[in-house]
Amino acid sequence: MSVAPADAAILHVDLDAFYASVEQHADPSLVGRPVVVGGLGARGVVAAASYEARRFGIQSAMPMARARRACPDAVFLAPRFDAYQDASRAVMAILHSYTPLVEPISLDEAFLDARGARRLHGTGADIGMAIRARVRSDTGLVASVGVATTKMLAKIASDLAKPDGMLTVTPGTELDFLHPLDVSRLWGVGPATRRRLDRLAVRTIADLAALPEPALQRALGHAHGAHLHALAHNIDERGVEPDRQAKSIGHEETFPTDVTDRARLDRDLTRFAERVATRLRAHATVARTVQIKARYADFRTVTRSRTLREPTDLADDLARVGRELLAELPLGDGLRLLGLSAHQLLAVAELQPALPFDDDDPGAGSRRADLERTIDDVRRRFGDEAVGRAARSAPPRGKPA
Amino acid sequence: MKFRCERDTLADAVATAYRAVASRTGALPVLAGLLLRLQPNEVELVGSDLELTIRVRVPAEVDGVGSAVLVARLLQELMSRLAAGAVRVEIGEDQAKIEAGRFRSEVRTLAASDFPRLPEAEGEGVKVAAGPLAQGLRQVVPAASKDDARPILTGVLIAATADGVRLVATDSYRLAVRDLPGLNLLGEGRSVLVGAKGLSELQRLLPTEGEVEVFLGERQVTFRLDGTELTARLVEGEFPNYQQLVPSGYPNRLTVQRDALADAVNRVRLVGGQNRDSSPIRLAMSAEGLELSATAQDVGQSYEPVEAKYEGTELTVAFNSQFLLDGLEATGSSELVIESVDPLKPAVLRASDTSDFLYLLMPVRIA
Repeated sequence: MSVAPADAAILHVDLDAFYASVEQHADPSLVGRPVVVGGLGARGVVAAASYEARRFGIQSAMPMARARRACPDAVFLAPRFDAYQDASRAVMAILHSYTPLVEPISLDEAFLDARGARRLHGTGADIGMAIRARVRSDTGLVASVGVATTKMLAKIASDLAKPDGMLTVTPGTELDFLHPLDVSRLWGVGPATRRRLDRLAVRTIADLAALPEPALQRALGHAHGAHLHALAHNIDERGVEPDRQAKSIGHEETFPTDVTDRARLDRDLTRFAERVATRLRAHATVARTVQIKARYADFRTVTRSRTLREPTDLADDLARVGRELLAELPLGDGLRLLGLSAHQLLAVAELQPALPFDDDDPGAGSRRADLERTIDDVRRRFGDEAVGRAARSAPPRGKPA
Repeated sequence: MKFRCERDTLADAVATAYRAVASRTGALPVLAGLLLRLQPNEVELVGSDLELTIRVRVPAEVDGVGSAVLVARLLQELMSRLAAGAVRVEIGEDQAKIEAGRFRSEVRTLAASDFPRLPEAEGEGVKVAAGPLAQGLRQVVPAASKDDARPILTGVLIAATADGVRLVATDSYRLAVRDLPGLNLLGEGRSVLVGAKGLSELQRLLPTEGEVEVFLGERQVTFRLDGTELTARLVEGEFPNYQQLVPSGYPNRLTVQRDALADAVNRVRLVGGQNRDSSPIRLAMSAEGLELSATAQDVGQSYEPVEAKYEGTELTVAFNSQFLLDGLEATGSSELVIESVDPLKPAVLRASDTSDFLYLLMPVRIA
């Protein structure tokens, strides 16, 4: 049995074509024109496309070169993350004015549990309409909203409501709503699972629901099978978690040309580590695990991770582990993308420092921490390029790179 | 072959040997079993995870000699649910029949030939008082690390002193040291590292009175008690140099009743909710005494003053609340002393009346 709330008051709020909409709002001359935001170099990838651009078949994650061919007259812009962050904060503040139970999923997406807000603000659908109106009037952005009894249904409803729409799944009609949909609407059904389900002649969620759980578990594995079986019967017991912390903090870059030069990749990792460490410190967080991600020329993508003895928020530590992990990785025909991320995050307040055993210089750790905090401070005041590490700079001229 | 034994006797023996049975058997499935060795007039039960082996002998009416391995968990659960009275076990080719009252069971046995060779006590036995050893282990063992990634810290250092032994354990966040004068367990200048898991089992087995015989070998140590023998493999490696961590004197000294402090810590830390074990608790120490406080983001704060005597400069220091409670528990005495240097350096907990135990605790950074 599902423990879903009896009334539809779980909301999924999703901003339409978020980056592109922010740009259109910032520059009214772009309104009504196809706008594409993303990497503008030869190897760039589309991060967001306005609905005008989508009409030309442009989608996020598409290579920028293809987008340019599809619609040469579109406006192509490099992303401005600061502006998106500001816009996101403004929208999240609106959501918080209805209920404290807001779970942000990304900059442009959040769940709300509005059950406690209904006395003040009306039904879930009333609140959804009010949010859409306020987002539009206060920020100029367009939010689509799904309203349902569970998170999964609310998310599917907002997807179906796009663009610029709202869809409410009336309690009692959840399965009527869910079952005709394609299985790929379910969380956890990607292309691989889709193919396996196809072999079982499962195309709609109704097909999936009709399959006995053991059969599904044999086809997909025990946990995954059980999970999808539950979702197909609309059993989704996850609540809205307002305090959900970021699970990881990372930085990755796609290179203009494939890179085989290890020294260059090491310098990139050092630079990524500084960015990640600065963000860790800004969130008063430390990480226990460091992961690198590498994408080869043939798009094969691998990750490697290592867990540290002591959690850290220092670029030095992240970079050292990142370089060790990279050293164990063959480069093949070169990398087109490299990333470094910090996982298993802990709040600094929960951090228990170790006793100063003499196997390491007891002052060394805190001196490195002081140095990095000073760098944060200098950068805040004078900009990112004001100070950097020697290892980040290119080797001196005259020496082979 | 078969044997007959009282349920109460057998249940205790199974429970004791079961404590050494591997929770994850990995490459050696037979380690999920208990080895039963039938000998004239007694049955020996053996559980082992290779690091730790516990052997228990119980009197029984035995017919025939030999060995069999029974699934340990099943046997342990069964024993705890059988009514008092006789239990009869008959061992066949590849199954065992267990009967008690009207209960009957036939269960598949594991291959006894796969069971690892049993460790035999090595070296010359030394008899020492069991009670003080148990008390020392109770104080020190909880401070050892449970992280298998740091094998050395999962061990307890047992080192010879001028007049006895010293037990030391640390998980790198706190360190517990107990001196046991008169307990001449080791030859002069010797020290060994013994896994904390094994010592924690030993501590449960040790009686408050009487003696335990200790056999120290090259690679293992055996503790022999009446009818029970525990063998632990020694941990290899060098224990970190802990002596330099303990300063000779501290400028700040708080004297407080242990139970009053522990009760207050338990109340104040509740605000930390599910994270209360790791949530920091602040100790504000001044001439007025001690005030505890804890803050949990988005939840609230708690405070409580605790009567205490303080000599030193006004100081606020924060500790992981569970580590602090562990220290209070281990110190044992009704009145204890917390000595500190500053909010970033390790503080010491010790009894106000004896100096044979100390608990060093690293403070938590406070924002």
